[in-house]
Amino acid sequence: MLSMRGVSYRYPGYARQVLQDLDLEIAPGDIVGLVGRNDAGKSTLCLVAAGLAPASIGGTLTGEVRVDGISTVGRPTHELAASVGLVFQDSNTQRSGVTATVFEEVALGSVNLGRSVAETVRRTRDAMATLRIEALADRDPARLSGGQAQLVAVASILAMGPRLLVLDEPTAQLDPEGTRLVGAALRDLAATGTALLIAEHKTDLLDGLCSRIIALDGGRIALDGPAASVLEDPALAAIGVESPARVRLARAATERGLTIPAGAFAR
Amino acid sequence: MSERSARRRADGIDDATTAPPPGADQLSEADAAYLAGLAPATPTAYHRQNPLTKATAATMATLGAFVLGGYVGPLAILVLGVVPGAIVAGLLGRLVRLAALISLPIAVSVALVSVFTRAGETVLFVIGPFDATLEGVDFAAQIIVRLFVIAMALGLFGLTTDPRALVVDLERRGVPPRVAFAAAATLETIPAMIERAQTIQAAQRARGLDTEGSLGARVRGVMPLVGPVILSSLTEVEERSLALEVRAFGRPGRRHLLWTLPDSGRQRLVRWLLVGLFLAVAVGRVSGSLPAPL
Amino acid sequence: MIEIRGLVFDYPGGSRALDGIDLTIQDGERVAIIGQNGSGKSTLVKHLNGLLRPTMGEVFLDGAPTAGIRVAHLAARVGLAFQDPDRQIFAGKVRTEVAFGPRNLGRRGGELAAAVDAALVAVGLDGVADQNPYDLGYSRRKLLALASILAMDTRVVILDEPTTGQDADGVDRVRRIVSDLGAAGRTVIAISHDMRFVADSFERVVVMGAGRVLLDGPPANVFAEAGWPTLATTYLEPPLAARVGARLDLGATATEVSLIEALAARAG
Repeated sequence: MLSMRGVSYRYPGYARQVLQDLDLEIAPGDIVGLVGRNDAGKSTLCLVAAGLAPASIGGTLTGEVRVDGISTVGRPTHELAASVGLVFQDSNTQRSGVTATVFEEVALGSVNLGRSVAETVRRTRDAMATLRIEALADRDPARLSGGQAQLVAVASILAMGPRLLVLDEPTAQLDPEGTRLVGAALRDLAATGTALLIAEHKTDLLDGLCSRIIALDGGRIALDGPAASVLEDPALAAIGVESPARVRLARAATERGLTIPAGAFAR
Repeated sequence: MSERSARRRADGIDDATTAPPPGADQLSEADAAYLAGLAPATPTAYHRQNPLTKATAATMATLGAFVLGGYVGPLAILVLGVVPGAIVAGLLGRLVRLAALISLPIAVSVALVSVFTRAGETVLFVIGPFDATLEGVDFAAQIIVRLFVIAMALGLFGLTTDPRALVVDLERRGVPPRVAFAAAATLETIPAMIERAQTIQAAQRARGLDTEGSLGARVRGVMPLVGPVILSSLTEVEERSLALEVRAFGRPGRRHLLWTLPDSGRQRLVRWLLVGLFLAVAVGRVSGSLPAPL
Repeated sequence: MIEIRGLVFDYPGGSRALDGIDLTIQDGERVAIIGQNGSGKSTLVKHLNGLLRPTMGEVFLDGAPTAGIRVAHLAARVGLAFQDPDRQIFAGKVRTEVAFGPRNLGRRGGELAAAVDAALVAVGLDGVADQNPYDLGYSRRKLLALASILAMDTRVVILDEPTTGQDADGVDRVRRIVSDLGAAGRTVIAISHDMRFVADSFERVVVMGAGRVLLDGPPANVFAEAGWPTLATTYLEPPLAARVGARLDLGATATEVSLIEALAARAG
């Protein structure tokens, strides 16, 4: 679905390569977690994977980014948007600013894709139900709390039905329940064959959700492997990523010569 | 097939635009009613007129007032056209206040300039080197009447038409959505900037800036915000355009909008009648078959 | 001391955001407020510095009602870092932004410079003091908003979701700031969704739901098994350490350290 080969990128006006020589493959149905420090290049990788950089924001890309086997270079974003969805880190930024109700905001992408009204309505309702934001349908999208706005942002991309979905810290503003709902929605989406790339600090969320985890450090891939093995890798701490709670607890117990039965971590 | 369309075909993203809208008829009555309810509120029969009808009326009234000149013509447009419309829309008082507010500054400057500078026979009074002539007063009064009629006509359009409605209607008539959205975004920038300034001001008070006191204190609080607020709304416009792009905005091909505004054969007829009436008046004035302005 | 009595707040339009809050917070307490989005947490803290005024009920600061006292005057005693840094940041330079608050409070010269520097060092932004805030990423703008409140040296510091968007280093930094403020005898009130941060850094947890206080007590009590059904009503889960501790019959172990200690104690 997404294939990156030897990708390096720098922003317009900056000399520093923010991404350096990345190789990355994401197949349909994969859920790939992206972890790393705040300046490791996670957001930039999201923009590049979704085709916004360099197409819409400029900068210099070397290497190859392909979506469905077709290079993203030179393709306008609106064209890519039919197959690639991007949820921005800041939900405020995600808001279109041209709609008066949350319903229209969530429907906008589907309308732009030229879908019939009935299909748009169905997709909009489904996306809102998935994240339990039906009650917000008639609210002004400009007047939502941070958490509500984030759920609306995710729903507005879900309604488009992308085959590759890139999310930049989709749960940063969310309460635990909102985080759980987004996690469940992403799991369901992957089951239908959508490929997912999720940048996220909450390793507890990624644990059990992702099939694979990539850890970035200084714009390079530091770790890449099955979710469980990367999340249990002691090297995570050195690149500024906190292990999930179950890993931390098990490790702390082992250090004292104790064991916590695996069953104790179950939900 | 061009390379580009081949590529899009290969991507399977062309279906939505070329295929007939699937299931367009499957919209339930409840859904149809819900979507209709998303359209901007139209409390009166005048609000309910199609935006293009209201725009045509405002434009023809404006052009008519220009072409006719004098007092009788523009006032006839006002009394027979704009005022009844405003009464139906239930906002005559508000409209008069708005039109007066808009035309007042221009009216004052027009009056000052033309009353004293216009050459004429009948001198009414003299102030220093300037003499006010009857002709000057007459000329100024004519301009002010026209100005007021135009402000009333455009004001009625503005007060009864939501920008979103205009955008949607223009798009349905084939205006590129990009152009329509640019227009709507511009209209919405100013209230957004005011709101942003208010939010930041609340935060400034929370950091000890006293703006609850005198008017002076309030102004001192606002001044340093002007630059940053304009700057941040420019940044926001840039971010918004990215947000729109990832939602496939600007993709070629037809969009099926969630709600449209009713139009009717009768309204179309009214629009053509208004245009025809204006043309007749214009031709009459130019050819001299209509009497000179009264 | 902060006293909130019978606080009710209705938003314009009539929806009830706070539905009778009674809460007393002693000087030097570190209090975390948790609850679902929309449970009234942010609305509650905005009453402490007067940005919102009660529809009914009263707020007292050091025994005196805050009614009628201007926000700008309350600001000398209560600092509030907003959830969204972009609703707060306005200056063209990081240093100017941080200096804004203390300057309004009358600090000048060396005293002002010292307050600004200390706040920038605390959040780790001393290296970018001369940059434009808009050139910083979200997580650093969040730290900047926090620094501009710290620099005011208020006796009460309120942080609305301070760890949002922070990486592991950022969360550690916020943890350290809370602990330093506590050690300096300041009152710290933080809204958070991060249960581990709440259990580790605060001595008292207030659980809100639908505009009311549902639970109030030390983390070990609030996150103990008896409280779970109440937490569940507002869709909250205790931190993993508390769940594991309960499952292994180790008692109330809200923090990871306490869980390991309890485990070690049992192993003898």
